[in-house]
Amino acid sequence: MDNLIAANVKQRPLRTAISVIGVSLGVILVVLTVGLARGMQRDSLDRQSNVDAELRMAPPGTQPLASNPLMFRAGYARAIMEGVQPTDEDPDLEPKPPIPGAAAASPVGEMIQSSAGGIGFEMVDGIDFESFVKTTQLRIVEGRALGDGRSPGSDYEAIIDRFYAENNKSSDGRPVKTGSKITVLGNEFTVVGIYEPPILGRVKIPLYTMQQLFGGADNCTFVMVKTERPELAEEVKESIERYYPGNRLIFTRDLPALYSQGINAVEIFLNVVIGLAMIISTLVILLAMYTTIIERTREIGILKSLGASKRFIVISIEKEAALISLMGVLFGFLVSVIGKYGIEASTRLKIDLDLRWLLLATSIALAGGLIGALYPALRAANLDPVEAISYE
Amino acid sequence: MIYHVGKVDVPALRGVNITVNEGEYVAIMGPSGCGKSTFLHIVGGMLQPTSGRVIIDGEDLTRMSDGERTDLRRRKIGFVFQRFNLFPTLTAEGNLKLAERIYSNGANGGNSDRRREVLRLLQLESKMGHKPLELSGGEQQRVAIARAIVNRPAILLADEPTGNLDSENSQIVLDMLRNLNNEFRQTIIMITHNPEAAKLADRIIEMRDGHVVSSGASL
Repeated sequence: MDNLIAANVKQRPLRTAISVIGVSLGVILVVLTVGLARGMQRDSLDRQSNVDAELRMAPPGTQPLASNPLMFRAGYARAIMEGVQPTDEDPDLEPKPPIPGAAAASPVGEMIQSSAGGIGFEMVDGIDFESFVKTTQLRIVEGRALGDGRSPGSDYEAIIDRFYAENNKSSDGRPVKTGSKITVLGNEFTVVGIYEPPILGRVKIPLYTMQQLFGGADNCTFVMVKTERPELAEEVKESIERYYPGNRLIFTRDLPALYSQGINAVEIFLNVVIGLAMIISTLVILLAMYTTIIERTREIGILKSLGASKRFIVISIEKEAALISLMGVLFGFLVSVIGKYGIEASTRLKIDLDLRWLLLATSIALAGGLIGALYPALRAANLDPVEAISYE
Repeated sequence: MIYHVGKVDVPALRGVNITVNEGEYVAIMGPSGCGKSTFLHIVGGMLQPTSGRVIIDGEDLTRMSDGERTDLRRRKIGFVFQRFNLFPTLTAEGNLKLAERIYSNGANGGNSDRRREVLRLLQLESKMGHKPLELSGGEQQRVAIARAIVNRPAILLADEPTGNLDSENSQIVLDMLRNLNNEFRQTIIMITHNPEAAKLADRIIEMRDGHVVSSGASL
């Protein structure tokens, strides 16, 4: 071995391995956490893209693509399509016509539950199947359509998408298929159909059943509105706002942008993760290089006796730290890739390994390593040569 | 030169005035603690004396910063120690290349012709791929000498170079120092407790209690 830096790294394999693992922890933390956040975001948006409805109507102040309680009147869907007329119970009700240009309206309830794999969360949709198919591309590919939840025997039935069927087990531990029992919102449901393509949550139950499970009010989370032609979307939106003011109406096409704005909290969390990764890398390298310097005090004295400048010594130690950090980065990538496939295979979580974030993780690990090695390097460079060379 | 040990001042060298000519081979003798190593470290720029002047090739070390003294050591001085002080993780050749890299301020390469010549002179051609622990004491010290002279420093400072060697290896190392002095005209200052080793030098300086007590041609 002719290279001092490589030789030093090789000299203490256990310490090098621990340092590499320490640095890789930071890399894994960044890559998997960011990848998970991005993957879940992409997955949600992908499923959103299979909605045909141009408009989403929700209570003011609610976040799109987030689960909100059932606090929006499901009757808005009927009102949009059929209008409002005074009734015997409410003779003073102001009459409103059907919204011109609206082709279909469907109330959707959304609730979050723990993921079947025990890691993460998943969305469960409560739908009115008949109107839901008119506002989305949903089609049943196995089994039959979802009941309305009111007719006998239809209350605890569910439909699932193909991905859910292929990646989950039923209550008895067997692969999910039509007829299987699955646990949804703490209750056992029977799978009556499998649908394609993926739309919103992967599990759908009757909206009526969801309402009964959560208080019984005729509420939903939002109403999807499909227009007769896409170009009528603006007009329909204005009409709804005029007749039913005070609600939040957003174009489905704007959801990706709105979602990005709405994940500030996630961005803050990711920044905290990145900061933690940086601190981990810095501390690991600082400790590793500090002990290395103590151990190699005599060798530093020899370097000084050979005429090595402070700069030469600092650069040598920084190069060693960079080499260890780089090994940590590579190991971290390897574990992250294995982790991605492992997590995706055992849960319904999605992880995106984006090149941009891999580069960021690399920069963080290298910067952390170089900063961490700086103090030990400067300490070594400033050692008294005679004391160092006499060090036992 | 005064060391500060706690609150006590310990003078190591007192009024030492030594002139060593270019190409001269000088042996310094004296009992332990008489200031020999302190003198060598000051001449090598590793210690700054508390007073006095050290002139090497017209350059005053005592007026130099730590960085300037390091640079002078890099350019003009080679060290050989009693304990060899080789890098245990590097091969013999790796130790030489490291010295070359330091000499060339971090650049790789070095002068391979010069390295080969040094290796031939020290009879180390077949040992270049070995790590220090795979070499005998004599071989390790020869590698240490090779490392010290591979950049052809003007001055070679040897601190008891045969102190850890048996008599056979001691003789080999001493012969080689003599040959290097004859062949390359390097100035050699060697500390030794061994009168037989000192006899090979051009001049012997005797020190006691931080003073030079005698300086004259060897017998």
